[in-house]
This record gives sequence, C-alpha cells and structure tokens, in this order.
Amino acid sequence: MLWWAMCAFATLVLVVVTALWVHAMRRERPQMDAARARQLTLRWLVGGGLLLPTLSVLLLLLFGIPIGHRMLPLPLAGEQPMRIEVVGHQWWWEVRYPDSGVVTANQLHLPVGRPVDLDVSSADVIHSFWVPRLGGKIDMIPGRDNRIRLQADQAGTFRGQCSEFCGTQHTHMILDVQAHEEEDFARWLQARSEQQVSALPGPAGDVFAARCGQCHRVAGVSEGNRAPDLSDVGARSMLGAGVLSNEPGALLRWLQEHQRLKPGNAMPLHDDLDPDHLSTIADWLETLRP
Amino acid sequence: MQPLRSPYNPIHIPLGLVLWSIWFVVLYGGLSVGCALSPPDPIQGQWTWLNGLLALFSLFTMTALLGLARRFQRAARDEREGQPARFVARLAAGVNLIGAIATVFVALPTLSLPPCL
Amino acid sequence: MTTPSNEQVAAQEQLHDQFNDVWGNPRGWKSLTIVNHTTIGIRFMLTGLGFFLFGGLLAMLVRTQLAIPGYDFLEPDVYNQVFTMHGTVMMFLFAVPMMEGLAVYLIPKMLGARDLVFPRLSALGYWCYLFGGLILCASLLLGIAPKAGWFMYTPLSSAVHTPGPNSDFWLIGITFVEISAVSAGVELVVSILRTRAEGMSLNKMPIYAWYILVMAMMIVVGFPPLILGSILLELERAVGLPFFEVARGGDPILWQHLFWLFGHPEVYIIFLPAAGIVSTLLPVFCQRPLVGYRWVVLAILTTGFISFGLWVHHMFTVGIPQLAQAFFSAASMLVAIPTGIQVFAWIATLWVGRPLYHVPMLWLVGFLVIFVCGGLTGVMLALVPFDWQVHDTHFVVAHMHYVLVGGMFFPLLAGIYYWLPHFSGRMPSVRLGKWGFWLVFIGFNLTFLIMHWTGLMGMPRRIYTYQSGLGWDLPNLISSIGSFIMAIGIATVLLDIVLHFRFGQKATNNPWNADTMEWSTHLPPSPYNFVSLAPVRTRHPLWELPDLEERIDRGEFALTVIDHGRRETLGIEPLTGKVREIIHLPGNSWWPFIASLFIAFTCLGLLSKFYWVALVASIVAVLVLLRWSWENGAHPLAAPDARVQPGEPPLHSRTCDGPGLWGMGVTLLANGALYLALLFGWFYLWTVSPNWLVPDDAVIDQRLLLASAVLLSIAVLWQRPVLRRLRQGQGEPAALITCFVGAALLGALHTGLLLWALLAGELAPRATAHDAVIVVMLVYSLAHGALATILSALQALRVHHGYVCKRTPYEPLVVEQFWQYSLAVMWITYCSVVLFPPTFGGV
Repeated sequence: MLWWAMCAFATLVLVVVTALWVHAMRRERPQMDAARARQLTLRWLVGGGLLLPTLSVLLLLLFGIPIGHRMLPLPLAGEQPMRIEVVGHQWWWEVRYPDSGVVTANQLHLPVGRPVDLDVSSADVIHSFWVPRLGGKIDMIPGRDNRIRLQADQAGTFRGQCSEFCGTQHTHMILDVQAHEEEDFARWLQARSEQQVSALPGPAGDVFAARCGQCHRVAGVSEGNRAPDLSDVGARSMLGAGVLSNEPGALLRWLQEHQRLKPGNAMPLHDDLDPDHLSTIADWLETLRP
Repeated sequence: MQPLRSPYNPIHIPLGLVLWSIWFVVLYGGLSVGCALSPPDPIQGQWTWLNGLLALFSLFTMTALLGLARRFQRAARDEREGQPARFVARLAAGVNLIGAIATVFVALPTLSLPPCL
Repeated sequence: MTTPSNEQVAAQEQLHDQFNDVWGNPRGWKSLTIVNHTTIGIRFMLTGLGFFLFGGLLAMLVRTQLAIPGYDFLEPDVYNQVFTMHGTVMMFLFAVPMMEGLAVYLIPKMLGARDLVFPRLSALGYWCYLFGGLILCASLLLGIAPKAGWFMYTPLSSAVHTPGPNSDFWLIGITFVEISAVSAGVELVVSILRTRAEGMSLNKMPIYAWYILVMAMMIVVGFPPLILGSILLELERAVGLPFFEVARGGDPILWQHLFWLFGHPEVYIIFLPAAGIVSTLLPVFCQRPLVGYRWVVLAILTTGFISFGLWVHHMFTVGIPQLAQAFFSAASMLVAIPTGIQVFAWIATLWVGRPLYHVPMLWLVGFLVIFVCGGLTGVMLALVPFDWQVHDTHFVVAHMHYVLVGGMFFPLLAGIYYWLPHFSGRMPSVRLGKWGFWLVFIGFNLTFLIMHWTGLMGMPRRIYTYQSGLGWDLPNLISSIGSFIMAIGIATVLLDIVLHFRFGQKATNNPWNADTMEWSTHLPPSPYNFVSLAPVRTRHPLWELPDLEERIDRGEFALTVIDHGRRETLGIEPLTGKVREIIHLPGNSWWPFIASLFIAFTCLGLLSKFYWVALVASIVAVLVLLRWSWENGAHPLAAPDARVQPGEPPLHSRTCDGPGLWGMGVTLLANGALYLALLFGWFYLWTVSPNWLVPDDAVIDQRLLLASAVLLSIAVLWQRPVLRRLRQGQGEPAALITCFVGAALLGALHTGLLLWALLAGELAPRATAHDAVIVVMLVYSLAHGALATILSALQALRVHHGYVCKRTPYEPLVVEQFWQYSLAVMWITYCSVVLFPPTFGGV
C-alpha cells in the first residue's frame, strides 16, 4: 500500500522535474533584467529546492515511522505469540518449536490468524530470513537473536528465501512455509511430536547409522546435529532447501547427484557406498512422515 | 590569517556541521550505551529518561547552533569588512543554521519512539 | 589587439622554451618519473577507463548468466567471484580514481596555478592505484578472486568461511589502492586552499573547486574507517586476532559499521564531483553564470557532512533498535534537500539562460532523468518498513545503478565530451556522439528500470540462477538484452573518442566559449599550464577578459623568470587570495615509482604468505620514502638557492608556513579518522559485543604505559621553546641539533617502553578481542613513536648539512605537528585502555 503511494508520488516528481528541465531548455526567452532574474531564481531555489523536498520528506516520515513501529514485536497484552526458533546454516534452515520440542528443517509450519514470533540466529555466517508475502526480512547473525513477528491471515503455501549473501549456495536456500488453520496446525504439531520412527533394519540400517546418522537426526534413530533433521523428510515438498521437488525417486537422485545439483554443499559424496544400500535408505527416508 | 575567534576565519565554514556531527555521535552512541546499561521498560513507550535526555541534549545543541548562526549573520552585515570575509561569515551562518535544522529533524523521533526495541 | 613584432614573437618563444626545459616531460623509460599533474591526471583517467571496461565485461558475464532461469554459463563459485569483482572494480578502481583523475587534471588549470602542490605524491598515488588494481584483477584471472560480495561481510569473508587467499586480495589490494585515494585527497585540499591565482578569494573560486574541496575532505575522513577495517580483518585472517568473531569476543556487525561508515560517504564522494561537472558545464551551455552560487556551496557542504550520518541505512535489517534506525532514516531523507537545491539551481540556470544544444547537453539531460529517479527510489529506501521488504533484492540493485550510472557516469561523459578538445586539441564527432548517447540511455533504462519490478517481486541479490515460474524470467531476459544494448552504446562512445584523435576537427582556443581558466591554456596544454600567472578576481575570468590567454602567453604576469631552474607556482592566503609565498615544486623523480614498487612487493609478499619478503620490502619502502623526503627545502636537488625577483614574495621553505604544513595537517586528519574508527571499535565492542570476554586481571603494566606517555609529553615540551624561537627567526645550529637529538632520544625511550609493555604483559591477542584491540592500539602508538623519533633524528642531520636553519625554519614545524598528534593519541589510548575499563566492569 505504502509502495503504491510512494511510487505514484515519485513518478509525479520525476515527470515534473524532467518537464521543467526540458521546458526551461526550450522555451521562448523574454528579455529579463538582473533584478527579475534574481527574483525568479530565488523562487526556484526556495520553492523547488528547499520546500518541495522538505515537505515530501516530512510527509513520508510522518506516515512511515508509525508503520514501521507497528511491525515490531512489541509486548502484547493478552495471549502471547507463539515462539519458533529458526537457525540459519550454510545452506539450510533449522526450525525448532520450543514449546513442543519439534525440530524440522527447510520448512516452517504456521497457524493462521495468530501472531508468531520467530527468533532467528545463525550457526555460521550471516543469513537473512524473509518470506516476502508475509512480511519484511530480518538478518540472522551468529551470536545474536533477532525477533520478527509474522502473522498469516490465510492458509496456503509461501516461499521464503535467504536474503543475505551467505556463500556458494545462497541461491539454493529456500524455505517452504505452510500456513494451516488452527485445528490442522495443532494436528500437525501433535503428529510430529508423537512421531515414532523405527530404525532401518539390515546392513542398510548399519550404513545409515555409521554414515548419515553422524550428521542427520531422525527422531528415535540417530542423534547427529550438523545437518538437517530428517524425521519428516518424506512429507516435505522440496529437497535440498529448494533444489529438487520431492517426487518419488527424488531422494535417491539427491543422494546420488547432490554435488552436481548443489555444488559445494556440505554433504560428502556417497560414491563409495553400495548402490543397493543407497536405494534402501532412500526408500526408507521416503516413508518418514508424521 | 584571522584569529580563531574571529567570525571571518574560514574554519567556521565547516565548524557548525562538525558540531552537528559530534552531536550525532553522542546521540547514537549515547542511545546505545544507555540501552546497554539500563534499558527502560518497554511499557513506558517513548516517555523515558533516555528519550528525555537525548531530546534535551538535542535542544541544547540546536540552540547553540542557532546562536552561532545569528552571530555570523550579524558579522556578515558589517560593511567595514571585505567581500571575502563577509562571504565566509554568510556561509558560516548558513552552515550553522542548517546544522540546527538537521539537529531538530534527526532528533524528532526521540519524541515518538521507545528507545531500545 | 596589436600584431606582435618579430622580436616580441622571438622573445615569447624563448620564454616558452625556457619553461619547457624546466617543466618538460621526458620520453621512454624516464616517463616513469613524470610528476606533472596533466600527465598524472590523464594516466588516472586512462587506467580508470581500462578498469571500467574490465568491470563492464564482468557485468556482461553476470547478465548473461541471469538471462535464462537455470542457466549454467558460469559455475556458482565463479559467478560469486565475478559479481564481487564487478562491484569492487567499479567502485574502487573506476568511480573514485576517474573522478580524482579529472580533478587532478583540471584543478590547477581552473585555479590559475602551474601544478598541484605535492607532485611526487600524485605520482605515488597513480602507481599505487595501477599496481594495486593489477594485483586485484590478477586474482580473478587466477581463479582466486574475492567472492564474498563487494562489501565483504564477516563471517563469510573471514578465514573460517573463505579459507583461500580470495578475501586477502581484496583486503590488501584495496588498501593499497586507497593510499592513492587518500593521497590525492590530501593534495587536492591543500592545492585548492593554498595555490589559487592571486586575488581568487574563496567566494571567487570556480564552483567545481568547491565540489572537489568537499569531495577531497570526505575522502580524507571517510576512507580511513575502511582502511582500519581491512587491516583488522586481514589481521584476523592471517594472524588470528579476533575482531569480528563472536566466540572470542568480537562482533561481525562491527565490520558492517566500519564498512558503511566509509561506504555511504563513498557514494557521495562519487556523486559530488559529477555534480561539479554539471554545475560547470551547464552555465557554459546556458551562456550565463550558475544561479545561486552561495546556495550551491551550502548544499555541497551540507551533503558532505550529512552523508556521514547515514551509514546505518544499509543495516536496517540487522536488528538495531528502532529509535536508532529512525535517526538514520531521518538523516537519509534530509540529504535529499541539498540535492534538490542543486537540481533546482540547475533548472533555474536553464530557465534564465539561453541553452545551446551540444552533445554534452544530451548527457546532462540523461543525467537529470536517471539521477532524479534514482534519488527518489533512494528516499523510498530510507523508509524503514519499505526497506525491510526490498533490502537485498534487485530493487536496491536498480536504485544504486540509477544513482551511480545516472549520477556519475552520465555527467562523466558530458565532461569527457566537453573537455576532449582540451585533452587532445580536437573536437569529437556529433553524429557518433548522439548515437552513443541514445544507445547507452535506452540500453541502461531497459536493463535497470524493469529491475525495480524484479526486486519488488522478491528476487534477491547475488543469486546465480533462479527457478522458472516465479515471474522473474521475462524481466531478467529484458534486463540482459538491455545490457547488451548499453554495451554497444559504450563501444560507440569509445569509438568516437578513439577516432577523434585522428579525424577530429581542430579545436579553437575556447570552443565552447567557457568562463573558467582551464580554457586559457594551450590545447593540449603545455606542461607548465601558464607561462605567466595572472591574477583572477572574478568567477568568470574568460568571459570578462577574453584576451587573457594571449596576455598570459606574452608573459605579462607573474613568475616569468625561470633561470634558477625551479618549478614554481604562487602560494596564497586561503581566504583572500593575497600572495604569500612562492611555492617551489619538485621536478621529475624516480622515488614515487620505486616506493610504489616496493609497496607492491610488500603486498605480494603478504598475499603469498612469504612474510620475510613482505617485511624486507616494507622496510625498503619506508627507507625510500625517507630518502624521498630528504630531497626537500634547501637540498641541492630542490631549492638550494632562495633568490627571487625583486618584489616577489619569499620561497615557502624560507618561511614558517607552506604546503607541507597543511599537507601534514590534512594527513593527520586522515590518520585521526583511522584512530577514531579504532576507538569506536573499542567502545562498540565493550557496549554491544555479544560475547565480550574481559580478563580477570590487568593484562598490561599500567605504570609502563603511564611512563611511556609521560616521556612522550616531555619530548614534545622539550621542543617547544626552541621551535618558538625558530618561528621568530632565531636559532643557532647547535641549539637546533641539541633540540632534535634530545627529542629523538626521548622518543626512542618512549617507543622502547611501549614495546616493553607490549611484550612483557599478559596480552593474549589471539584469545580475546579485548586483548587484540589493545595490541592494535599500542602498536599504532609504537609506530608513531618510532616515526617521530626517526623524523627528529633526520631533522638533526639536516641541520648538520645546513638544509635546516633559522633561515629555513620550515621543516621542524611540520614535524612538530606529527609529535603533537602522537602525543594526543597516546594519552587517549592510555585513558581508553587503563582508565575506562574499570568504570564499565573491566579491569
């Protein structure tokens, strides 16, 4: 809303100034004595140079500062906003729900119609949290906790992206944001916190525990904490923080080609592993959903 | 070369805005130190001791700059001085006036925003 | 106008020959020794052109990669290097040096002087720029270019996340180039204040000189914070001193503050000289003086100062308290007002003048449209909630290109077309010029206008590709096509410039009927600009005295006798323009080139981590610089003989004032800005560092520090009485030598105590930011103490040789300033390190 007003005003000013310049260049020149010239120029300088910008700027600030103020996470009377923690990594999102202990990655589930306070930080370099259709952005800085308050007014899917250059794969750090109606959200949260995962049996399971589980956490199976939590990876719509769409077979493809799809990402190559094991692991991961 | 206290010394051309710059540093720095040492309760909104202190300091600076501007303006009208000297005094008056306006303009938010959020 | 007789013509030719003997530029290898501002200015501009083309090529690579979603024209790592280098090259190696080069070329001519006031410094500046730029660009050709964005945010740019030499190239290379910028800044300030034509009082100075004066002062104060930041980050990367790392007490946001403290004034440093070009050209093409001279001067001054209060608007998403952000938001909008005043002064000049349509005017109209548009989007960005949406998107990219290209590139081209006949003596083509303009104008707008929309649709900056289906495909394609059109336009302009050297019509003496003095030199100019120095008491000398060039050429005015073999120009009082001394200037010299070469070796040594090479090269560089400073004043190679014509003022080295005093003063301002940035870092970390680690006990012997400071105070006080007598024209060599040797001994003791305090203390600079900052502060004072000691010792030696005495009292007064600065810094450091911490919870 603010943008359209500013855009219209700016376009008006640009057109007027340009028109004045061109007109000044082209017009017929009446004879002018020094005194009249001085009077005219004073009018230009004060009216155009001084008053016009001053008034415009005052107007802008008068409207703009209160708008900014309303966007702040100020203390609320009554029900407190829900708290969610988001930690930026190179190049994935760690999302934690402190009240219920749910941890997930690269996706953010929100309730509709309620303010949510997101406490953001970073584990390595500076990232920036931004969901364009829900609000402004806030930087995720190591050592600091910044807070942004968002509220989804309708259910739906929104795209979030990292907005501070954070290295080679800054481009592929997409956050899948889903807003659910209250009951659906409560159901999702409960299903996630009660999720039971049984370990993968057999040699593939050993490979998983020895390799993948060192970095990735799967609730009840492994406790790695250096890579995205995979407990509900089967239910995600995207893999690799926005690189692949999670269709059947995508997980296997990711495991086999991830360095080609997202060069420089922190996961080591798996070319030394038995392809059957990889396939088994991928199938098992696809079943992980709340 | 004119003595430093003379209103015709060219050093006064930048000096007004140098004073404004120092004010700005104290404003921003003072706000940061105040918020780090003893941040006022957010419930108070903008009516805190910190806002008040910063606003008073700004008022003081603005008055000082306005006073200087007047002094230079009057010096500029002195017919006995040469053109270059009066030019300098007029510029200095303008610079100090601008400094005073800039002080008020930038300090206005102290009256409408809470300090440490 | 009488026809001169044969005798008069012969006498005139002989005069010019004599001047060419003293001022002439050598050819071949020896052209590396040229210090003349005309040549140095042209070199700056040509080199700037080279880097511009390199940066432009990088831009084309970026646009090609982004033209189609999912394109794999460039690998991500290469892409990151390319866009980082595009920004770095354009901002540091093109924008500022190009404007400085033009100023270096024009200022002495416009002011009616023969050269800038420190010619060897200009030459040093050029070589540092060339070598530093080449080193930086070489990194890309080797595939190890910086890749953390042109503003190099930490922690991404630090050793942990960029382990290779990439960031080091930026930090070391850019610092090397900044020596050039700051030295040109110092020189321009002093030249504008002290070497104008006789009678050219401050209010009669051409408006361009005001713009450059403010720009140069902004460089002097605005570049040092970045130099400090670069030094600190390089120390963190190479030696492990943590300034920006949270775990050991640092703060990555400190880098952002230091960078933007420089970064915001930088864009005004780029814009002001361009506005100066507009304010110079427009009156000529309107055939009447600029409207509102005083208003414009006030606007320039205001812009210069207020621009230092805006930097946090680049950090609105960092999480700084809203009230603080509001201060910066208000100031950011405030700066639109002086800009508006200038725009309307231009419109008013057009209104009451009689505009002529030449190619430069086209570029000026283009400037107005594009720059005003960019300024308006800038005002929008100053509003915090709007910034929270478009920060770090292509909207900002569009905004900044509008203000930079519109506000700098278009006026630059107007200026180049305008002064081309001055550089070469020939006129450019009109048709090719118009084609070039329209292609660039249309291409530019096609590229960047739609980019506002791309940014509003959410496309972030610095991504190497994007998914299809987000609505970004078509706008990016259009932008890429536009960029190719713009490139063709630039090629056309280049073609025009290159061809005109061969095919251009010969220019008349004053082809545009301009009013300022630079048009009263020959076209192209002789190395000495003016064979006689005319007094100027009006803002429009060539409009009021159209035959001025002839009269100058005939030798009618001052300083026409050159049998002493010295290069000279007049030194004036800054306010009134009254002549005070004759400033003698150095001729061609190898020292700048050699010094720059050894600084380059130092940088290469640091980059390749051969630290012994770096150490040796840096010592040699310092020795070269000291040897260079030896050839001053009464030295046989400078001005041993102080003979002047009857009625002429004395040589500056025989008085108590002179450019060196001012140069030292302005350099100390730059030095002070660096130190203040360091102090800022210290207090900042104490206040807001997230994990500030304070030691339990004192890490440094406070008594040693106090003793060291006291010794320094004594050294300064020791010199005062002798220097006071020197100012009054008294002082025998024995007394002078005793004074300087004593000062040197005290200085050496002071330095020694500092060194002892550093080494004997419990400092752990690699463990905590607290100790690291203290170490930097102490090393800073150490370096100053050592230098003061050496300088005083050298003064004693010079007294012994007879170069300094009561008749040549000048140099010790310059050195005294340095002592006083070192003293002030020492005490401030003492208070900040010893007295402050206990009040804030430390030891």
